[in-house]
Amino acid sequence: MRSKHNLYIGLVFLILLGSLFIGQSFLDRATVAEGAAVMAPRFEVDPMWPKPLPNHWYLGSTIGVACDAQDHVWIVHRPDTVSANEAAGDAKTGECCSKAPPILEFDQAGNLIGHWGGPGQGYEWPESNHGITIDYKGNVWIGGNGTNDAQVLKFTQDGKFLAQYGHSGKNGGSNDQENFGRVAKIFVDPKANEAYISDGYLNKRVVVIDADTGKFKRYWGAYGNKPDDKNLGRYDPDAPPAQQFRTPVHCAELSNDGFLYVCDRVNDRIQVFKPDGTFVKEQFVAKRSLADGSVWDIAFSRDPQQKYIYLADGRNQKVYIIQRDTLEILTSFGDGGRQPGQFYGVHSIATDSKGNIYTTETYESKRLQKFVYKGMAPVTKMDQGTVWPAGSSK
Amino acid sequence: MNTTKRRHGLHVGVIFSMFLVAGASAQNLSTKSIAAQGKGSAQAPRFVVDPLWPKPLPNHWVLGSVTGVTVDAQDHIWITHRGADSMANMEKGAILSPPTGCCTPAPPVLEFDTAGNLIGHWGGPGEGFDWPQSPGGIAVDNKGNVWITGAGQPEAAAARPAAAPAANARPAAPKPQDAQVLKFSKSGQFILQIGHAGKVEGSDSKSGFNRPAAVTVDPATNELYIADGFGNRRIVVFDAEGGSYKRHWGAYGEKPDDGNLAAYDPSATPVRQFRTVSCAAISKDGLVYVCDRQNDRIQVFQKDGKFVKEAFVSKTTRGDGSVWDLAFSSDPKQHFLFVADGHDKKVFVLRRDTLEAVTSFGDGGRMPGQFYGVGSIAVDSKGNVYTGETYEGKRVQKFLFKGVGTSR
Repeated sequence: MRSKHNLYIGLVFLILLGSLFIGQSFLDRATVAEGAAVMAPRFEVDPMWPKPLPNHWYLGSTIGVACDAQDHVWIVHRPDTVSANEAAGDAKTGECCSKAPPILEFDQAGNLIGHWGGPGQGYEWPESNHGITIDYKGNVWIGGNGTNDAQVLKFTQDGKFLAQYGHSGKNGGSNDQENFGRVAKIFVDPKANEAYISDGYLNKRVVVIDADTGKFKRYWGAYGNKPDDKNLGRYDPDAPPAQQFRTPVHCAELSNDGFLYVCDRVNDRIQVFKPDGTFVKEQFVAKRSLADGSVWDIAFSRDPQQKYIYLADGRNQKVYIIQRDTLEILTSFGDGGRQPGQFYGVHSIATDSKGNIYTTETYESKRLQKFVYKGMAPVTKMDQGTVWPAGSSK
Repeated sequence: MNTTKRRHGLHVGVIFSMFLVAGASAQNLSTKSIAAQGKGSAQAPRFVVDPLWPKPLPNHWVLGSVTGVTVDAQDHIWITHRGADSMANMEKGAILSPPTGCCTPAPPVLEFDTAGNLIGHWGGPGEGFDWPQSPGGIAVDNKGNVWITGAGQPEAAAARPAAAPAANARPAAPKPQDAQVLKFSKSGQFILQIGHAGKVEGSDSKSGFNRPAAVTVDPATNELYIADGFGNRRIVVFDAEGGSYKRHWGAYGEKPDDGNLAAYDPSATPVRQFRTVSCAAISKDGLVYVCDRQNDRIQVFQKDGKFVKEAFVSKTTRGDGSVWDLAFSSDPKQHFLFVADGHDKKVFVLRRDTLEAVTSFGDGGRMPGQFYGVGSIAVDSKGNVYTGETYEGKRVQKFLFKGVGTSR
């Protein structure tokens, strides 16, 4: 693929620019081939993805994204976070807009192909939706970070209720073995059929349950410690690292080689564990970030080795590209703003089988974006800023 | 130089495929709006959003709620926005104490060239004038002066949707209510102020305003027309040079009255007063077009205030109303009017002679070509349309003019 591309480039040069530039081209290629530069995956935003929603539908704060085995892109959002002006269609003060259903499914072309969600018989829909994952069996899991949310829910892909684990209003703290505390996200390990729960906005732990029965199997806090709900006070980047997670515990993702990466968001760190909760290592990211913290969500690159981690930093409005084995930041893309490729509150991140990245934004930004994987490229800047399609006017 | 050229050549394929995608989506958008409009075979200008305009701002600058956009004689695009006061702490982490992270509010006045490069920026409090606590409209007159209105209400009363107070938010001292209009050079040098912040005057004042929303200057007479405003219910005319009062009028050219009006009712007899006077624009043939925002109507006057006609746009709209701002098409006859409807999230295209809506574009959303609170609009000499979004929209967009065609 790459060499074909280069051949084509050479041909274009020959026709358009003559032999002088061919020489230059060889020189450029030689430099890359020497491998002097650090290489990292490169991305460009697709400004026109997804397609406009039907029915004057409007997204609220969009707080979860996942890709399924068919490379469909799923999001969960909070319809009730829109203002009166935004929901003027529902309020009958104007023709636009109406709240979209909380769970939306898109195909690769960005077409909306499914939508469902909301309260129903036999389960407690969250007060505040949070996080979505599609497990290896094709089931859809969501958490919830509303005041009383202490449950996770499992549905089929067409929205049929399957199971609820934990119950609304029943939170019993970080050592409760039946309920959760405002769950941020779920990951399901296909090998062990276990669900890893990022628990959460109230609790300070990772919980592992049986993915079929919901039975609690184990749980742990930061460094593998027994979790403790004591108030830690504000995060201080100059203080010794806290021995507990700060809320929210915002993601827990298991790699193919069996390491669990946990987003300790407000502590500005990733902690890595074995599946049994044994602490392996930690890495701070943008350690001086205060307030909402820097480590919001991660996704792995889709090569078999999962060489890279993509980390969404909703505090600094960018996505870091991290080498997974060393946890070293190689580069980042994105910046603050409302244009394509910019972020405000970039909250969730996922990758499809082709290596493309999807992000969702919370707060006022309320959107889903796609970043197209453009192959490996030498790193020229630590912060790439807004990554628009090559050849655009930037 | 050679390197640049070569790279440019390489990217042609990429650009081409990008435009295919852009074209397809734009097609989708325009088809939708035309279908929604359900009109016959009227001729109307067609537009395609440029998703990558303007270029990213430097210095991690971000926009607050955009309240004004205008185009000057050089086709430079000027915007004003509400900056830090319209942002939650999470958006402006770099100016907090201590800083929490990205970003910094951009200066309140920004100037772009047609390619979308930021080529000028200024604004903010200074000696000898009352910088608005919340800017409203912006205009560049035929002599190249920049006019800005102060449209803010006292801070305590300001509605700021979804700006959740953060833990380290400090209570700010209440700011005086805006009641002033300011004139600057293009480089931001203060020239003139009419009215004073905190000195709020009613709809018959000859010296002050109440939250003026927008201005325009008549090049023929060098007169300043002020849409006054969010508080008052009138158009008031001043001399643009010396700032002396000339004349004013209310809806239908009658004497304005600041008494209470019942909530807008689309089925009631049209009220004889303006509700929210949010724009004033003068056509080349000498008519004054006024946005009566929450009455969902445009009223047209002669320059002396004599009422000519009115037209309703999306008359059933309640809430914030439908007629937020308007701009003329760039053809010599100004055949069309573009009306920014911040409540219905679209731009209506009207025939100027009949004031009939022939089509519309846009829909609610955060993607390119979609809107939230589209409240300001301007047109360049080539017919391209620029829009500014307030509330949480916080952006400026460009719609490329693609010629006049049949709206199916």
